[in-house]
Amino acid sequence: MPGILCCFKWVVDEAYIRAGTGKELDLDWVDYKISDYDRNAIEEAVRLQEKHGGNVSAITVGKPDDTKGLKDALSRGPEKAYFINDSSFDNLEPSQTAAILAEVIGGSSIDYDLIICGEGSSDLYARQVGPRLAAKLGIPCAAFVQKIEMEQDKIIVERKIEDGVEVLELPLPALVTVLPDINSPRIPGLKDTLSASKKPVIDIGLDELSGSFDPCLRTISISKANMERNGVKLSSEPQDISSLVDALIKQGVIGGVK
Amino acid sequence: MAGIWVLAEDYKHCLELLNAGQKLAETLDKQLAVFLMQKPDRADDFIAHGADRVYLLPALPEDQTMEAYIPLIAGIAKQEQPDIFFIGASLRCKEMAARIAASLNTGLCSDCTGFTLDEESQSLVMERLIFGGAAVQKVICETLPQMATIPAGAFEAGTALSGRDGQVIELSPAPPSPVKLIAKKSNARQTTNLAEARVVICVGRGLEKEADLEMARELAELLGAEIGCTRPISEELHWMPEETCIGLSGIKVKPELYIGLGVSGQIQHLTGINEARVICAINCDENAPIFDVSNYGIVGDVYKVVPQLIAELKQALHK
Amino acid sequence: MDFKLTEEQELIRENMREFTRKYVDPVAVEIDENSRYPEEVIKKLAEGDWMGMPYPQEYGGAGVEYLTYAIVVEELSRSCAATGFTLSCHTSLASGPIYNYGSEDQKKKYLVPLAKGQKIGAFGVTEPGAGTDVGAATTTAVLDGDTYVLNGTKTFTSNGPVADTFVIFAFTDKSLGPKGLSAFIISKDNPGLKVGQHFYKMGIRASQTSEMILKDCRVPKEDLLGKEGQGMQIAMATFDHGRIGIAAQAVGIAQAAMDESISYAKQRIQFGKPISKNQAIQWMIADMATDISAARFLTYHAAYLKDQGKPFSKEAAMAKVFAAEMANKHASKAVQIHGGNGYCKGFKVERLMRDAKITEIYEGTSEAQRMVIAGNVLR
Repeated sequence: MPGILCCFKWVVDEAYIRAGTGKELDLDWVDYKISDYDRNAIEEAVRLQEKHGGNVSAITVGKPDDTKGLKDALSRGPEKAYFINDSSFDNLEPSQTAAILAEVIGGSSIDYDLIICGEGSSDLYARQVGPRLAAKLGIPCAAFVQKIEMEQDKIIVERKIEDGVEVLELPLPALVTVLPDINSPRIPGLKDTLSASKKPVIDIGLDELSGSFDPCLRTISISKANMERNGVKLSSEPQDISSLVDALIKQGVIGGVK
Repeated sequence: MAGIWVLAEDYKHCLELLNAGQKLAETLDKQLAVFLMQKPDRADDFIAHGADRVYLLPALPEDQTMEAYIPLIAGIAKQEQPDIFFIGASLRCKEMAARIAASLNTGLCSDCTGFTLDEESQSLVMERLIFGGAAVQKVICETLPQMATIPAGAFEAGTALSGRDGQVIELSPAPPSPVKLIAKKSNARQTTNLAEARVVICVGRGLEKEADLEMARELAELLGAEIGCTRPISEELHWMPEETCIGLSGIKVKPELYIGLGVSGQIQHLTGINEARVICAINCDENAPIFDVSNYGIVGDVYKVVPQLIAELKQALHK
Repeated sequence: MDFKLTEEQELIRENMREFTRKYVDPVAVEIDENSRYPEEVIKKLAEGDWMGMPYPQEYGGAGVEYLTYAIVVEELSRSCAATGFTLSCHTSLASGPIYNYGSEDQKKKYLVPLAKGQKIGAFGVTEPGAGTDVGAATTTAVLDGDTYVLNGTKTFTSNGPVADTFVIFAFTDKSLGPKGLSAFIISKDNPGLKVGQHFYKMGIRASQTSEMILKDCRVPKEDLLGKEGQGMQIAMATFDHGRIGIAAQAVGIAQAAMDESISYAKQRIQFGKPISKNQAIQWMIADMATDISAARFLTYHAAYLKDQGKPFSKEAAMAKVFAAEMANKHASKAVQIHGGNGYCKGFKVERLMRDAKITEIYEGTSEAQRMVIAGNVLR
């Protein structure tokens, strides 16, 4: 009966971000959501539970007022949630989030066989927390997983990378990060949302943690990307086509892998 | 040896990182080191491209993946304490970078698209996109090494210089990883969902005959793109199935890159593509409405432009 | 005063929005074009517990406030007003009177499967000669031993062709006037109940509407809803509830009209710039935003009063008449913003304009709403 932990992040819904005046972003009217990829992580945990039994818990690091995210996560199927919160847990960078999660998961009585994270978060999309957490916990890890088969004391996963699919075997306990193609998350029904409020939430405050979680990365600025369609008109001359290819590579839409 | 380290799984990508690293090495007066996997005969080539030191990673047993190198790389980094560590942003290397950064208790700028050097602190000021591309974040890594994953193509490869000297160090095999590789399936082109595709090629009435779709297919193959079409192509000409029709009455796409081939840009169609991050249009009619919503518009004959574009892309993507 | 929705209400709205994107948007155009009942969507709605929202869990519902129900109807109608109405007709008009006036046995037998969405409900009051004037109905119910025998024809019965359970009104004693009207629960299996002519409507075309013909339709005494002569009271009370749903539907239609207008106006280039840069367009959209907010607050307020157990008949009528009229005005403006494109099939605003009209007509015309409001304020 496996114990599965799924990690999620409560993030700014980028659809609500508007261009402010000048170089600023207008974040005054943003709404929040469960990071898109984390919905896949939760869904996969719940599907594995439906197949193999056991239990599923959700875990998140955030600010004390991020309670809507807990209800949202719990309405998707986990039976309880760990809410590691402090008012200072705002705009954490990946090394901090991973260190906090590692201390709670590794240092406490949380019993787990498998940790599932989303491929990345839909705000920062740094794709670090999962692998960093595995490294901190010292457990096997596979990122970019599109299929999980659970066996007695191991999992067989398909991992999709640029040059193909690798089938890997990981002894449990282990951590995987999942791709959006792994499943199509269910839409919580009305009763799922209503019952979510009644599920247990284990509140863990900063005072219960011993580590110091200083950031390694310091953000010095966030400015709006140029979203205007700049409408560069080019001719069919070879130098123009060559400059187009350059521009597309610089924009990161071809060549580089996202 | 403190210095600047680079690691990438692809050869060209490695040269790009070496070139970026070499300029920094000169400015900061540091040594440049590179990790080399599998092909030890490339060591001299890397030295010619700026490496002062080449770490040769040992061959892996068949049931191991490259991630098995992580303890080895992290171990030597702890010993040598590099200042900067650039890693190619392929998926596999991204995972490796995050795990190495965690072992070294340092920060990592993922998908770094460029950097400058802060004059005072001599730290890297690294740029990356956040919020689905809506914003640019600039970060400084306050711990060492300053790590970043860098996408292919962000920097150019440098030229080889003869007569450079460098040291080659063979690393001894690491203990095997508990993660076992059981099978490998190479990349047969998968038919992914058009709506979810990262790159979309769309064909419009500007194509003269059905056989010309081949041109679009070749371009799509090259870019790993899905092919869609405008309404007349599926509805009236039946060149493509209806479910590939993009627009108001069809699918809405939201790729990173949309390339319209002979698409004029009726509003019904544009509604389906406005969430594309970059729109590129090729059309002979300079007044085609699609140019108003395009980031890049090529006014020209599709039949001339596309083959040139394919040739140019092949060169740029090393294919 | 608290203008904030609860976290649950926000999540429920978001989930319904996701539901519509996944299941409703893809079929909305086709079901309108073919006047097709979206059975597969209704099944999905039932799976998500959306078909019996305001009724207690013991009766198969979800037990949420009427306010939450209004939010969901609004969000569903934003995608497809016909689907929104199919749900609100089923929930408010058919299930509502059984919950409010039914015996315990009737609730168990009829409300539970309705609230679970296993069965679909319809409500038959309107007759060819009795629209707003409910008392002009001619359908009769004559007691014969232990059964009533009903004869007459109901028209414009929403959900009629697809419903399993009907609440139908007939005079048990015409001589008593409105006090002689009674309500009955009739199953579609009753051989005396037949679906008559189907109506093909201007808007909400996927909502199924027909005549219902009662010919020697024998209804056992235990299926009388409430008491003999309570029919008029049941009908009026049911409309009070239903109007909140229609107001919410109108708000959803208007919201969709604004969504479409904003997106079109930003993209449509004329004279070298998007038409959203023109003040004429900006003012139209500003008026839409203002009216939609006003209508939404009226609607939520009526629902709130109902949830508090306070009288809400006047407020429900106000919400309905205001929301319906503003939805019509702004759906028409949205077509105007779209110009020739908006007048053609293929753009959503064309459907919205047709769908909006019915909100001024059914569950009490705008004129009837004003009668209710005037009756309240002139008292």
